[in-house]
Amino acid sequence: MKFIYKTWWKVLAVVLVFYTLISGMLFQVPRLDILHETIRNLYFHVPMWMAMLTALVTSVFFSVLYLRTGKEEHDLAAVECVNTGMIFYGLGLITGMLWAKYTWGEFWSGDPKQNSAAIAFLLYCAYLVLRNSIDEEQTRAKISAIYNIFAFPIMIVLLFVLPRMTDSLHPGGAGGNPGFNKYDLDSHMRLVLYPAFIGWSLLSLWIATIRYRIRLIEHKKNAIN
Amino acid sequence: MKKLITLIVLMLSFVAVNAQGSKTVEMADVLRSSGKIYVVVATIAIVFVGLAIYLFTIDRRLKKIEKEN
Amino acid sequence: MKLAGQTIELLKKEIILEWRSKYAFNGILLYIVSTVFVCYISFNLNPGFKQSAGYPIVWNILFWIIMLFASVNAVAKSFLQENKARLLYYYTIAHPQAIILSKTIYNTLLMSLLSVLALVVYLLFFPNKVDDLLYYFIVVLLGSVSFSTVFTMISAIASKAGNNGTLMAILSFPVVIPVILILVKVSKAAMDGIDRSLSLNNIGTLLAINVIVIASSLILFPFLWRD
Repeated sequence: MKFIYKTWWKVLAVVLVFYTLISGMLFQVPRLDILHETIRNLYFHVPMWMAMLTALVTSVFFSVLYLRTGKEEHDLAAVECVNTGMIFYGLGLITGMLWAKYTWGEFWSGDPKQNSAAIAFLLYCAYLVLRNSIDEEQTRAKISAIYNIFAFPIMIVLLFVLPRMTDSLHPGGAGGNPGFNKYDLDSHMRLVLYPAFIGWSLLSLWIATIRYRIRLIEHKKNAIN
Repeated sequence: MKKLITLIVLMLSFVAVNAQGSKTVEMADVLRSSGKIYVVVATIAIVFVGLAIYLFTIDRRLKKIEKEN
Repeated sequence: MKLAGQTIELLKKEIILEWRSKYAFNGILLYIVSTVFVCYISFNLNPGFKQSAGYPIVWNILFWIIMLFASVNAVAKSFLQENKARLLYYYTIAHPQAIILSKTIYNTLLMSLLSVLALVVYLLFFPNKVDDLLYYFIVVLLGSVSFSTVFTMISAIASKAGNNGTLMAILSFPVVIPVILILVKVSKAAMDGIDRSLSLNNIGTLLAINVIVIASSLILFPFLWRD
């Protein structure tokens, strides 16, 4: 756990996000109908989901670690990762809804990916409710870790397999949005998108570590009292 | 005096209504103008506001801990 | 091999227990019949519903919703009804994986039987033209298998978290939604008599979900079991 106290990756996160903020607004983008300039949202909306996914994967990792070692810190890390993931979930959802309003015409158009995201939200709400329903600390840590691991593969199916099998307004679907697949080939956009993914993922980890450190102090204090 | 003001207000509102009526059907609200760049601006703003609110909640939590010390 | 032997023994025990009391079976059957009847009466209040264009769609979805709630109730019993002393006794004599396997298999059998009966009762009250009845039947069986694999593990988790039914529903519904989505899609295709090969993709995904769920419950259950 030395890693979380290092500074270099936090600097990297800030530099990458800053780079995408500038280049995302200034670099050339493909000229597409309907989307117009909003294609730049790709750099600011999609990385939110990447950040959420990173936080949730980390949370599952710590849940596994908890089941193997039984150290309470790992449980705290897992729950704080979920909390951070939920923040990025909210940001991804709101920005996505705004984008959808001005390109697809509705805030909520019942797109498979939108629905899947809503279900994934239910899943993690259930995780948090489960945590609150158990008083005894070790049982709580164990059971919520098990639920977290159990639910994760299903969420992956939900978010990445099912939407691809049906018509979706999002790119990558079976029917797809024909005007939108062009950017797959645009190397300019990759130059911004991938650094954005890495930068926001690191940023979400940073937030999670801060929350984790606060949680650790609270936990120690409760243990002493 | 009061009557005069009412009259002016009514006149103004009439003008406003009239101006709205003569608009084109295209609902050219601000977010759709200039190649919809303002949607991107709003997205960035939402992300930043979200993070800022989050920072404040963390701040409050830390304050609580500091007070207890 | 020891695992297989223990699983079979435990499965036998479950079936014998159920055979003696027939509590779960009769209870859930009654639950299904009364739900179908309530739906029947409520829909009959609106004359012309059966002739309306939306009837086949409602028919299909209503069936799955009824099955969903019936299976939640049926499977929730598998761990929630066990008392602490008996669980402790199992723990001393059997491997945890044998326990979860036997419960899963038992629930699968129970749910398959119940879902077939439910389909018959449902067809009785809500007649509908199903083009590919055999295929629909297979999808219903697959659905009941998927429901029971998912719900068995969730009921184990819920039983550890203070034995309440609300928690069971909260925990299981988000997990089971992908399954429901696929089931409704495939069963609609079967109802419309669309070529079977077109749904194979979906069935493959459903089977993959089942494999994932069973594998993860086998891995995770021993951890849940230990106290």
